[in-house]
Amino acid sequence: MTLERTTGRPARSSAAFREAGALGWARRHRAALAAAVILVFPLIAPFKALAVLILVYGLYALGFNLLFGYLGVLSFGHSALFGAGAYLCGIAFVHFGAPWWAAIIVGAVSGMIVAAIIGALAIRTRGIYFAMVTLALSQCVYYLFYEAVGWTGGENGLRGVDVKTIDLFGLHLDFVDPLTRYYVLAAFVIASLFVLSRILASPFGAVIEAVRENEARARASGYNVPLVRFVAFVLSGGFCGLAGALLALHLSIVPIETLHYDTSGLVVMMSLLGGMGTFFGPFIGAAIFLMLENLVSLWTVHWQLIVGAAFVICVLFFPRGLWGTLLERLEK
Amino acid sequence: MTDDARKFTSISRRAIVAGAGASLAAPFSFNIARAQQGNIKVGFPVPLTGPYGAEAQDQVRAAQVAIAEFNETGGLKGRMAELLVRDDKLNPGEAATRALELVEGDKVDFVVGSLSAAVQLAVNNVTKARKVLYNSISQSDTINEAKDFSPYTFHEALNPHMTAGAVGRYAFQKFGKKVVFLTADYAYGYEMVNGFQAAGKAFGIETLADIRHPLGATDFSALLPRIQALKPDILIISNFGRDQQIALKQATDFGMKKQMKIVAPILLYTGRLAAGAQAFDGVVGGTSYYWGMEKTTPSAKVFNDRFRKMHDGKVPSDYGSLAYAGVKTFLMAARAAGSTASEAVIPAMEALKYDYYKGPEYYRKCDHQSVQSVFIIESKNAPANDPDVFNIVATDEPNEANLRTCQELGHT
Repeated sequence: MTLERTTGRPARSSAAFREAGALGWARRHRAALAAAVILVFPLIAPFKALAVLILVYGLYALGFNLLFGYLGVLSFGHSALFGAGAYLCGIAFVHFGAPWWAAIIVGAVSGMIVAAIIGALAIRTRGIYFAMVTLALSQCVYYLFYEAVGWTGGENGLRGVDVKTIDLFGLHLDFVDPLTRYYVLAAFVIASLFVLSRILASPFGAVIEAVRENEARARASGYNVPLVRFVAFVLSGGFCGLAGALLALHLSIVPIETLHYDTSGLVVMMSLLGGMGTFFGPFIGAAIFLMLENLVSLWTVHWQLIVGAAFVICVLFFPRGLWGTLLERLEK
Repeated sequence: MTDDARKFTSISRRAIVAGAGASLAAPFSFNIARAQQGNIKVGFPVPLTGPYGAEAQDQVRAAQVAIAEFNETGGLKGRMAELLVRDDKLNPGEAATRALELVEGDKVDFVVGSLSAAVQLAVNNVTKARKVLYNSISQSDTINEAKDFSPYTFHEALNPHMTAGAVGRYAFQKFGKKVVFLTADYAYGYEMVNGFQAAGKAFGIETLADIRHPLGATDFSALLPRIQALKPDILIISNFGRDQQIALKQATDFGMKKQMKIVAPILLYTGRLAAGAQAFDGVVGGTSYYWGMEKTTPSAKVFNDRFRKMHDGKVPSDYGSLAYAGVKTFLMAARAAGSTASEAVIPAMEALKYDYYKGPEYYRKCDHQSVQSVFIIESKNAPANDPDVFNIVATDEPNEANLRTCQELGHT
């Protein structure tokens, strides 16, 4: 069956944005509020490296959620978009000596290109078939990069994405410094939040949700459903590719694992944990997932046991994800 | 009134969340604060979970021995060493993050660790950009090459070129020149085959076939008859862990040991214990260390005894011992330099001539590869639960000629 109805609640039309009260206000300024959270986040994060990782995976989850939460299509191949963004950003920097900002653009664009290729092949399939086709195609991308050892380092991964300093508008920034790195990368994530929010608030955003809620009705209203799905997939690829590019700059390496299907599964988990179909939920999901995993593994070797138990609790008591359930309570 | 009450509860809910977050973070910020009191901190990312978990835990045990010895002998002018163990989950991305946390958050003086080629290259890329010393304790040829090397990079482990070279020189001379390779289809396998080929040139070996199998193969029965038909003198199986155990078991079942000699670049101590005597019987391979050498090597005896005392009579494994040497060289070099500053410790490391557990070793200047002996071992038919499972049949003495030259690696 299709996954279009999994959220089971009415589409949040633009009318919802005009609702009164604090929640309505928050909803109208969701991107600004999310940006504020991102700006203060490093103050409470135990490690700056972890904070940056949360930024990157948060953006990855947001991009994925555009497809999963808003369009209602489950892709199991998003690692291809994320990984291609990371690798091509790295390759542009290492092999072509591109400046860091150009490498980031290359990453985001290549995410869109790979999404366009995969999308063109897969977008007409539905539900579980779409998941399987995207999984298969992402595995093709994995082996493509795995075998191109001269370009990607193959098994060993791509090394040497070493951005040391950034010169911007007369500013000389030390990119090795963890806090500087956080805020430079955060600027990209915040910009993405505003773009994403704008997309979702646009007529196109409403059409995406209309397709999720009732594809037949959307088609009857004159919308080209395959095209809507395709464009949403490509946009999602842009965000995921950008996230990959930021990861490459943050870690200074690109491991082949970024293209592995585990990375596709990870983002599904993060979105579900935070709350699919909510604007900021996937970001929260990524934050909680990574915090749990990293902090518990610092404390005990048996971290998998504790993290697993935490997931079971989340699934049992927060069926709409942590953020989604919280929003639902506040709405009542 | 009700509005006020609602407001109040919503604030307190937020306060609870914030409080929970703060209390979650509190023990860690405490750790960071405490760590700045002058201890020498050694970051130690290893794959505690995942397929090499048992090996990694042995590495931790051995590293603890090095730390304890250093602290008991007075540390560095009273500065004690501490080991910060992190789980890299056998994933280069995770390992790079752990390394960033260790360097930026914990402000470690040294990083030692890793148990995969990709992971060590990831950690190395992070540490060298931040001028932090790193000693890798797992096999890789790539880390020696000029592209990945930096003055801050050290490699205590063997590399595939040395290991396969030593095993090849022993095997080709003793068992014959007609060779078939059965190789795991990834970097480790290729590097090992290259090592054997390089060593085999001098002997004029004839490669009948190089058969690749996917990583994590569970069935070799389709490949083995083909190998039997080729009638080689030697079958070289270059794979690792469970792949190796299954391949050897099936080769034994096919009766191949009667027709040819089976050789592996590395025979793992833990792997041999897990698979049992029959599968490994008569198989020849290489290792960086076998605890049984304590009969002839005094430093091995000292190390083993210390390890047994600290860890309930257990003996150290091959990869575990590398962690001991990897940590100890940094600490001893720091002591010699009187400082933990990278720039001071590097020349002290380069000047080190040490015999900590396996006989003499030193770091070659151009690539900081530890020049050391490789032991050729043969599995013996020991009863179950007997830890003495190998015979050392030959020793490839430390010799720079067995390494690729500095020019070959791209060092000027």
